[in-house]
This record gives sequence, C-alpha cells and structure tokens, in this order.
Amino acid sequence: MSLSEAEARVDTAVAAEDVGGSLLKEAWRRLRRDPVAITGGAMVALFVLVAVIGPWIAPYGPSDRAGAVTPTMIPGPSSQFWFGLDDLGRDELSRVILGARQSLLVGVVSLVLGMIGGLTLGVLAGALGGWVDSLIMRIIDIVLAVPGLLFAIGVAATLGRSLQSVMIAIAVVNVPIFARLLRGQMLSQREADYVSAATSVGLRRRVVVFRHILPNSISPVIVQGTLTLATAIIDAAGLAFLGLGGTDPSVPEWGRMLADSQDYLSGAIHLAIFPGLAIVFAALGFTLFGERLREALDPKYRR
Amino acid sequence: MRPNSGAGRRYLALGASGIVALSLAACGGDDPETPGTGETEGGGTATGELVFAGSAEPVVIDGAWVSDGESIRVIRQIFEGLVTTEAGGTDIQPALATEWTTTDDGLEWTFSLQDGVTFHDDTPFNAEAVCFNFDRWYNFEGPIAQSASSSYYYQTVFGGFAENDAAYAESLGESLYESCEATDDTTAVITLTRPSSTFLTALSLPAFSIASPTALEEFGADDVGGDGEAPTFDGTYGYEHPTGTGPYAFTEWERGVRVVLTANADYWGENQPSVETLIFVAIADGPARRTALETGEIDGYDLVDPADATALEDAGFTLLQRPAFNVGYIGFNSSIPPLDNPDVRKAVAYAVNKENLLSTKYPEGAQVATQFQPPELFGWSDSVEEYAYDPAMAEQLLADSGVANPTIEFWYPTDVSRPYMPDPEGNFELIKADLEAVGFTVNSQSAPWNPDYLAANQAGTQQMYLLGWTGDFGDPDNFIGTFFQTQQAQWGFNEPEIFDALDAAEAETDEDTRVGLYAEINQMIMEFVPGVPYVHTQPAIAFRAGIDGYEPSPVNNEDFALVTVTE
Repeated sequence: MSLSEAEARVDTAVAAEDVGGSLLKEAWRRLRRDPVAITGGAMVALFVLVAVIGPWIAPYGPSDRAGAVTPTMIPGPSSQFWFGLDDLGRDELSRVILGARQSLLVGVVSLVLGMIGGLTLGVLAGALGGWVDSLIMRIIDIVLAVPGLLFAIGVAATLGRSLQSVMIAIAVVNVPIFARLLRGQMLSQREADYVSAATSVGLRRRVVVFRHILPNSISPVIVQGTLTLATAIIDAAGLAFLGLGGTDPSVPEWGRMLADSQDYLSGAIHLAIFPGLAIVFAALGFTLFGERLREALDPKYRR
Repeated sequence: MRPNSGAGRRYLALGASGIVALSLAACGGDDPETPGTGETEGGGTATGELVFAGSAEPVVIDGAWVSDGESIRVIRQIFEGLVTTEAGGTDIQPALATEWTTTDDGLEWTFSLQDGVTFHDDTPFNAEAVCFNFDRWYNFEGPIAQSASSSYYYQTVFGGFAENDAAYAESLGESLYESCEATDDTTAVITLTRPSSTFLTALSLPAFSIASPTALEEFGADDVGGDGEAPTFDGTYGYEHPTGTGPYAFTEWERGVRVVLTANADYWGENQPSVETLIFVAIADGPARRTALETGEIDGYDLVDPADATALEDAGFTLLQRPAFNVGYIGFNSSIPPLDNPDVRKAVAYAVNKENLLSTKYPEGAQVATQFQPPELFGWSDSVEEYAYDPAMAEQLLADSGVANPTIEFWYPTDVSRPYMPDPEGNFELIKADLEAVGFTVNSQSAPWNPDYLAANQAGTQQMYLLGWTGDFGDPDNFIGTFFQTQQAQWGFNEPEIFDALDAAEAETDEDTRVGLYAEINQMIMEFVPGVPYVHTQPAIAFRAGIDGYEPSPVNNEDFALVTVTE
C-alpha cells in the first residue's frame, strides 16, 4: 500500500463521519419517534441478545436428553418444557435458543462478505466507468438473472456441506445486489455540482471518489445491509432445510430443525412451529427496522 | 439383502415420476370398466386391481442381475425357483422342484421337478430349462457380468464362474457349481465341486429363479453394457419380456411410472391369484407414500415410518410387521487408530445407550441386538458378551486404554431410510451424545447413501459408521459369513481365527454341529468387537382396509397371489 492510499483511507473514515454525521443524527432522531422502528429494533436486539448469551440462559445443552420420547409420542409444550421435546428427547426451547447464534453468525458473516465483495465491485465500476464498468455490470446482470436461493444452492452444493460454504453461498448471492446499488449511487453523485467543484480545484480522482462520492453514496447500502440480514437468515434456514447446512447435526440450526420436523407433523406439530416462529421473528425484526431506517435516511420521506 | 440397491441412484427422479404414476393408476382405478376387462382375456377368476408402492423402481426384472428389494418384490411374483421359503418364515419348501435328494458326499443333488408347468410364453418347464438357467449363470463372462454390482447373489453363493475374469482374480474363486444334467424331463441332477451347507437354502433366492430359456435367448437377457460399477442391460428381456412360471405374468413396465402384472390364468400352483391386475409404483418419499395411501391412490405400501404407525392404525389401516430378520450396527474400521485398540472399541460398546436409542427412534417390536444376527436364526448365542449400557465402565476402559483424547470420525448416511435405521441422523445424534458423555471427541461426517456413502464404506475410508443388513435366507452364513468370512476394507481387521471358523462352519453339512459352531463364532466376534450391533427391527407394511391375506416374510418372500381385495 502506498502512502497516499493509506492517507486516503484515513481521510475516508474521517470524511464519512463528517458528512454522514448530521444525516445519521437526523435519522436517529426520527427513528426514536417511530413505533414500528422501535418494535423492529427491539426484536433485533432481543435476537442478538439471545444469540450472544444463549448458552447461559438455555435450560439444557444442545444434546442433553431432557425426557423420554418414542416415535409416536413426542410431548408438546408443558410447564416443564415450554416448547416441548424434540424427536430425540431434547428440550426444544433450549435448541431454539441455541440456534439463534448459528443464524446470527451465518447472517452477519455472509452479509459482511457480500458487502465487501459488492462494495469493491461497485466502487470499481462506479469510479472507473468505461469498459471496466461494462464488464462488471454484465457479469452482475448475469448473476442477478439466476434466482438467488437457487444460485446459493448451487454454490453451497459445489463447495460441499459445511457452514463456511453456506456463508460463502449467501455472500455470493448478495455481492451483485450491493455492487449494483453502490454503482448507481455513485453514478448519480458523480454528476453532482460538488463533485465538479472538487474536480475543478484539481483534486485527484481517488480523493474525489473516496472522500466525497463514497460517503454520500453509502447510506442506502446501510439500509440494504439491514434488509439483507433478514434474507440471509431466511436463506441460511432454507439451505439448512435442504440439507446443506453444517455437517454436525447436533448443532441446532433452525432450518434443519424445521426440516427434521417434517416426519412428525401429524404427532408433534410443535417441532415445526417454534423454529418457524424463530425464523419469522428474526427476519421480521430486521425487515421492520431496515424499512424504517430506509425511510429515515431518505430525504424524500422527510416530514 | 445388499444395502446398495442400484435403484437408489434414481431415487430423486423417481419421487416425481411416482406421483405421476399414482395419478394415472388412480384414474384407472376409478374407471368402471377396469374390473371387467380381466374376464374377457383368460379363463381365470381373478378380478380387480391392487396398487402397491415401494420406495424405488426395479433396477431390471431379472433375478440374475439384481440384489435390491424393489426389484425382488416384482420378480417374486413373476418367477419361481426350485425351492422357496414358507410363507412368513425361513423354512425351505418345494416350489418347481417337488423333492430332492443328495448323495452322502453332498456333491450330487437330484431334483424331481413339477410336471406339466409352462412358462408364460408357453415354453414347457422341464429339466432342460432348469439346466439352461444354471448354465447361464455359470457362464456369465466379462468384467461387467461378473462384477458384484450385477451378479452379486450368484457370486456370494457359488463363489466363481466357468471362467473368472482377470479383473476379479482376487475376489472370485473356484465355482461351487460344476454341472447340471437333465436325466429326463422331470429330473435335474446338479453336481457341486464341494459340499455346501447353504446351497439348497440359497436356491430360494429370486436370483436363482427359473426363467424361460426361449425368452432369455430371444430378448438378449445376457447383453450387458456400461461398466462394472454401473452395469446397463442392453437386451429388452428384463424391461419388456421377463418370463417365468409364477402366479403373475408381466404385462408392461412404463419406465419411471409403473410396472403392471396380470394374473396367470394357467398358474399351476395351489395359491391361485385372486387379484387380476397388480401395479407397482415407486414413491421415494416416506410421507408421500403415507399420503398416497390415505387419499386412496394406492392400496398399500412398504417401509412405513415408525412415527406414522399409530396414526395409520387409528385411521383404520392395516399394519403388518415382518419378523425381525435384520441387524442395525455401528461398524468400526479396526485398522484406524484409536479403534485398533480393543479397549477403545469396548468403550464405545458400553457407552451407547441402546435401550434409549430403541425406545426413542424405533417402533414397538424392535429388540436390542447383542450380536450380528437375529435371535430367530440358528447359531444365535445367549452367552455372548452383551456390553449393556455402562458409561462408568466405558470411561474406565478409555482410561485403561492409554489413549489420550480419543477422537473418532463418525459417519452417517443422508437421504435414506432403511428398515434397521428409519432415521440415520437421529441415531447418529443420540450415539454421538452418548460417546461425548464418556469422553470421546466425535467428528461428524455424512454423505448421501448411494453412491457416496456406500462407496466410501466399501473403500474402508470410514472410521466409524452406521450400517445394517437384512437377511436373504435363513442361514447365519448370510449374516456373519457375509460380514466376517474374509478380510474386508470396511471392517479393516485381519483375524484368521474368525475367518477360518466361518469357513469351517459353512463347509459343515450337519445342521446340529453348525448350530454349535455359529454360536461359538458369535461369541468370538463379540469378544473382538468389530462393531456394535444394536437393533433388530420389525419393518412394517401398510394396507387399506379390505386387503387381506398378505403374509409378511422375514426374507421379503411375499406372494401377492395370497392377497384378496374387497372394496
């Protein structure tokens, strides 16, 4: 890394705070007054909290035998076992709680990987333009033409059954979304007067891009990130449901728990309901919060 | 029965096509003209139709080439062998042979044959037809026909061909079969190269059913292609013209949809078929099979999920159970440390809570296994080391073994349900938890059943694995002989003492002596602990109300001619 690049990075961080500061402050002010956003935020916070402290609050370990079951008699919710027992006699509540961490982990890691890839491509395309832009965007168009989950299944199946391949698969699906979003933002900013002004005073292109255009383009990406977390959690559950999750079946995963419940739908419906609700809860929290965040950050919604 | 049915390869494709088959079959069933058509065709009194669902299509309808249950189910209806097993048991009964005698040295077997029987194509059944079939199997040639994927049962029983292909110089030996002579129309004399205690029993296998020589020749039954791993059958015999003497004759096989059989109006036997049309469909998915029965699209199905048993019975369906004639086990590759250490193997055996595993994951009727063969079979020993659940003992053994941090790679199959293992993943999780509780570190490994899991297993790359076996005929040689008579990659051990004892027990022709020999061998095996047998199950079959007479068989020799249908 050359010295000027390093400087540019430091500058970027500072610039982002400067330029974004008032915008985020304004957005935060509006979010605090929005009951939907607060609900969504609280759901997200609860989900993250459970994911972090799960092992300490779960009444049983993930493989502990909590009670006796037979194939035709799997006890449902009771005062002793709030979510009932699963098909192996384990406490369903504990497994739902412990599954949160797996969901959050897959969601966050795949989001971060997807963002890094998407932002890199988006900045390259948006800043350089020309044939680089055309090449990147055509590839992205091709990838976007394939349905997301289908593409993720293909990637995960090719990489083999493991948690890492699930994360990579979901990240790969998210890359084009972020790349396209950022490029679009940067293109619209590039024509803005302040950019012309910056260029006309002789600033180098790299400085203009990182210090001025990028910080002004980033807020939709943050919103998209929140919303993508919701789909990443659903996608992770979907892949696990299809048998593409981690190799160790005793690690609780909501999607896999849902898949395993299929054989017991007639006798033990609770095995489908609770992991299903958990997935809905986490995804809904991120969606509600993300939607309101989008509105809060978007000048058009300013009241 | 071999676990690696070739049919499994088409598992997914069949799921969808099975559904199509059902809707077609259901349409046929609703057609008021259907029952009438049978009467105009032949002189038989059979009427109506029955639709039965298995989990996969047949591989090919020719007993010589298959070893999977779905093919065998269809083959049993069309074909008969010289002998058969009694309905619901494993005792040998006459079939196309009325009686048989053997010389004192056990080398010459004289079979008196049923008179006046014809094949479905009107070729007469006689001693020449019998010898034609034996010579056909004996003379299979080339690496494809002689691979274990094609002529599996012939090889396990007879051990070798007229000319063994160079590719199998290691695994094939001298053939047990020497010659067959038709001394008159109804007498066939078969000469063996050495005495064998399993020869007659093994002849009850569908692999040794007698087919019409005319049809075999005309339709290219022996034309095989592909390769040894995945043979293809290029003649039309096994797809369009399988021809036997059984109560049902082949009508058509719409590939991927259904197999249709029609009652043989000229059947010679005692049990005349009462159902005119027999239709077999494939529904790979267990819950889909149950739904198909509940909606009336099928009349019965095999491989009932234990979780569905009570609900089906409560809803008025008939549930039949096969006698326990299988074993589910945890296999060890004893050549991979730390499982080369007997204390570690015994620690695993003591650590597994078999009672809990059975009550949690198996239907009623499942028994805890103490050895690698079911108690119904002779040679079962009541004095083997039983390794009853004892975690403290397991911890003690681990400490004594001197192995620090014992770590095991433990494999289970996905996309499969077997009678001895309805939910492999559930078994895996319970066993893993038991092992971790006594101090093992368990690395989880899984692979799709066919071909990945079975291929890895046969290659010996799995350190510890879940597997099982369903018996083919009533002889311990078919259980422990199959597993332990030679050094095998999946077990990884070389114990000449066990191999030799099994050779001796197979060669012994006195039944009483064999009982004692096998009991001793079972004790030897469980002293060595090559794996942990844990269950014998009673697989269930479901029918709608009004279907009667079906006789579940421990060796899956189930005759649809006994079945009656009332609306």
